[in-house]
Formats: sequence, structure tokens, C-alpha cells
Amino acid sequence: MNERNESIHGVACTFRKPADVYHAAEKVRDAGWKYWDVHSAYPIHGLDQAMGMPRSKVPRLTLLGGVTGFITGCLLTWYMNSYDYPLVVGGKPFWSPIFPFPVMYECTILFAAFGTFFGQFILNRLPQHHHPLFDLPQFARTSDDSFMIVLEARDSKFHLDESRNFLLSLGGQEITVIRD
Amino acid sequence: MSASPSRLSSHWTTFVVLGFVALVAVWSFAFLGLGEHDHRPALSVLVGCLFWVSTLIGMLMLTMITRVFDAGWAPIIRRSWEFMISALPIVLLLGVAPLAFIPEFRHILWEWTDASHILPSGHAVGHDPILQAKSWFLNENFFLIRIAVYVLFFGAITWALRNWSFKQDKERTAQHTHTLHAISAVGIPASAVLLTMLAFDCLMALSYHWFSTMYGVWFFALSIRLALAATVILTYRLSHGGWLDGLLNQAHRHVLGCLMLAFTVFWAYISFSQYFLIYTANIPEETFWYNIREFNPVTGLKSDWWGVSMYLIFGFFFLPFLSLLFYRSKIIAGRILTIAFIIFAGGIVDLWFNAVPRQIVDKTAPEGFTVSPFISGYLALDLLAIAGFGCLVIGLFLRASTKAETIPVHDPRILESINYHE
Repeated sequence: MNERNESIHGVACTFRKPADVYHAAEKVRDAGWKYWDVHSAYPIHGLDQAMGMPRSKVPRLTLLGGVTGFITGCLLTWYMNSYDYPLVVGGKPFWSPIFPFPVMYECTILFAAFGTFFGQFILNRLPQHHHPLFDLPQFARTSDDSFMIVLEARDSKFHLDESRNFLLSLGGQEITVIRD
Repeated sequence: MSASPSRLSSHWTTFVVLGFVALVAVWSFAFLGLGEHDHRPALSVLVGCLFWVSTLIGMLMLTMITRVFDAGWAPIIRRSWEFMISALPIVLLLGVAPLAFIPEFRHILWEWTDASHILPSGHAVGHDPILQAKSWFLNENFFLIRIAVYVLFFGAITWALRNWSFKQDKERTAQHTHTLHAISAVGIPASAVLLTMLAFDCLMALSYHWFSTMYGVWFFALSIRLALAATVILTYRLSHGGWLDGLLNQAHRHVLGCLMLAFTVFWAYISFSQYFLIYTANIPEETFWYNIREFNPVTGLKSDWWGVSMYLIFGFFFLPFLSLLFYRSKIIAGRILTIAFIIFAGGIVDLWFNAVPRQIVDKTAPEGFTVSPFISGYLALDLLAIAGFGCLVIGLFLRASTKAETIPVHDPRILESINYHE
């Protein structure tokens, strides 16, 4: 199976209606596929559940960024105002959790935003300058009036003919083999 | 609709009667306190009243904000807010209004209205240049006019929001949605101004030397937090054997949870900023307000109010904030309910922190005054007042629910609201 799949990215299949692609996605999910995707021009409500997608892991990276930022803000203000160059400002202590709090929470927000932004880049495997799907003429229409399900060759369930037939059984219209 | 709404609503008289009994008891203590020249029982009435005024003003704002933004999730929950806010003018009439209009209560609670009251400095209020400079605002006639305006305005706006919303049930026209949109667009800035004034008059003026321009925003933030927490508790009850049974779903909890998180942060931001600016500027006429909430002026040591302020930071901010960060805390009914109770209880503590500490003249003390303690038997009276006004509010809410459909069946967005999902 593997040597045949080397040059194949997967099989794609187009759908004309959101309801069709939605129900097809449920069947792919129930068949236990791991590496596959649905393409649509707009968010379809409930598609995440229909695809069996877990919740995004980005919030964990946001939290990690936020905690890092808070600690950075504490250390920054402590190091500068109390350790490296102790300075009395307005009769306040060299360091207390009160006067530098704006620095601490601004750092929290900044680093949490970094965690979110770069976290989604990493989890989405971006930047990716090319994708085999871009060579497919039908793929352009998924940003207009068409929907597509792609079953990828790296999934252990993938078998060219069986996967093709599987997609046909889901009511897909054009079945195309995508080559790398 | 099932039989459950009427079954639930039929208990309204019980709640109203319980509320009245509790309020009669609390008011009796307030009158007894008057004889002993003790302001504290009257303050219990004020705290109990303002706790519910705050919650109901929050619900009023949420009603108008969801109208203006045409929030698709809101209609099934908004109808319950509309039932709740019918109690707002009545709570004001049974709490703040008599306290302000009966001269003895006014003088004992708001010291600035009593020209003969002696300040810790030894001078009488009547000769206080700080009060004279503020007298264009802090004079008794204008004060009473303002209190009357609060009752009239909040009475009128809550009536208008309910009237056109209830009419829509029968007349089935989208025109009423546009009317309510317009009322809300005018009502939001007007309510914002009046709730700020109300916070100034009822709470900030308890200590009239002190001033904070952020006080109105703090009161607004607290109001929305209390309103959201009350909404979570209320909708939980209504979805277990009430009229939201089978209607309230995970996505409604999620949206309420997200708003609770946002306003928890907003409250902390406002409360901290107020403290931070006063701490940084270090001007005596501002810092004394926080000093009496941290130190015992006789011993110079941290007082029990310091513990209360620590509770506000860790129990009223960090605990709800950190728990609400997690998605599952917002969607699992038991968890969001627990957090709502924590916020609801924290709101009482925040009101105590703002309303109760005051300088009590004591010639034997080194600085000429002591500070009212946090731990005292009056806390029980405060809780009784909160429970009394609460029973009254729930009773009036249930009574209102018998007068209209329990969900807005002809709201243009009713299906969107019922089928709302994340």
C-alpha cells in the first residue's frame, strides 16, 4: 500500500450543498478517519461536531503565554527598579505588586496575544507556501459555491479504490485523486 | 407550555409575604437604632436595598444592551430579565427613598445633610468648606429631587421595556422590536448617567469628603457581574422544572459564562485603577478612604477590613477569573452555577467594603476617630435585609411571569435564541 501512496496526497470529492457535506462528514467521522478535512467557503454551524473535531489547543498556549508574561513583568520591574538600579519614585517602595501592576498585566496581555498568534501558526503548521490541493481546479470553487472532502493518503484507512468508493457512497460528485 | 410555569409562579404571594415580614423586621431595627443614634441598622436597609438595586440595574442594562445589539441568543433569557426589572422601582421605594426622605434617617446615614454633625476634626458639617464647595450638588433639595428622579426614571424605563415587549406577544409585529431598539438606544446613556449619580448619592456620599470619578463605573461593573450571576442561578432553576426546561442549552451557559469572565476582569480593572490612582497620587483627601479600610486608626495595625479587601482580590477576582478561563467551567451547569454563587456572595462583600467603614468620632482616640468594625452582629441584619429584598424581588418576578408569555413567542429572533449554539 505504501509504495503506491508515495506520490498520492489523497482523494478529493466535491459536494454541492452544505447539508450534503455535513452528513458526509458525519459518516467519515464514524468510519474512524484521522487525516482528512472538509473545505467550505464559510463556517458551517455544527461542522466541528460532525467532523468529531476536539476543541482547539490554542487556549492552552494563550494561558502559557499569559503566565509567562505575568512572571516576566514581575521580574522586569523587580530587576530594574529594585535590584539593578534601586530608585525611589514618589516615595513608593522599590518594588511592590501595586505600582508596577500595569507593566505586569500589559506583559500578560502581550505574551498571551503572542501565545495565541504564534500558537495558531504552529498548530496550523503555518507558514505553508504550497499545498497539493492548490493544483486541483475544483479546489478554487470551495471558496465560492462548492464544498469538498479530502481523505488523505497518510491515514492508515486509506486505500485508493476503497476510499474512492467510500466517497461515492457518501453522495460526492467529482472524485479526484490528488498527487503531490 | 407545560404546567410548570404556573406552578412555579403560584408561589409569588409566599415570597412577597416573606419579603415583607423580613423588611418589617429590618426597618424596625432601623427605627430602634434611630433612638440610640446608631446609623448601622439603617445602613443594613441601604445595603440590602442597594444589593438588589445593583443586580436589577445590571439586568436593565443587559436587557437594553441585548436589544441594541440584536443579540440572537438573548430573547428567551431577556424575558426573565423583563420580569425581574419590574421590581426595581419598588425596591427603590422601600429602601433608598424612605431613608432619604425621612429626615432622621437622612441625617444619620448621610452626615453631610446634618449641619450640626461634628467631624473628627472638631468642626461642624455646617462650617465645612469642603461641603460648601460641593453644595451646588450636595444640597438636600437637589438630593431629594435626584432620589425621586431615580425612582421615576427607572420605573418608566422598566415599564416601557416590558410594555412593548409584552405587546409583541399579542400583536405579532416586528415594529415593537424597532420601538424597543429605540427606547434602549436612548435608555442606555440615560441609565448610565443616573446609575452613576445613584452610586455617588447613595454610596460615595456616605463619606462626602472623598471622591472618585470612577465610582459610577465601578457600580456599573458590579451591577453587571451581579446581574449575570443572578441570571445563571435563575436560569438554572428555571431550566429545572421551570419555563426554561428543555430550552436552555450549553451555548446559553457558554455565552453567560463568557460575559461573566469579561465583567469579572472589567470589575477588577476598574476597582484596581481606582485604588492605583489614589495610591500613586497620594493625596490625603483621597487616601483616607482606603486608609480606614486597611488600618485601625487607634493601633495603626491592619484591621479586619484589610482581610475583607484581600477577600475581594482573591475571592471575588482571582477565584472566579481563573475558574472562568476554562471552557468546561462555562458549559458544565454545576460548575458555572458554583461560580455564579461565588460572584453573588462576593458582591455582598464588595458592598460591605464600600458602604460600611466610616469614621466614628471618638475624642479618646489619637486621631479623633475610630472606624466601624467589619465583624459585628449587624452583618446578620445586612443579610436579613438582602434576603428580605430578595424574597420581594423573587415574588414580584414570579407575579410578573403570570402577566405575559414566559418566553417572547413572537420575537423575530425567538427561534435563533432557542436553537442558539456556539
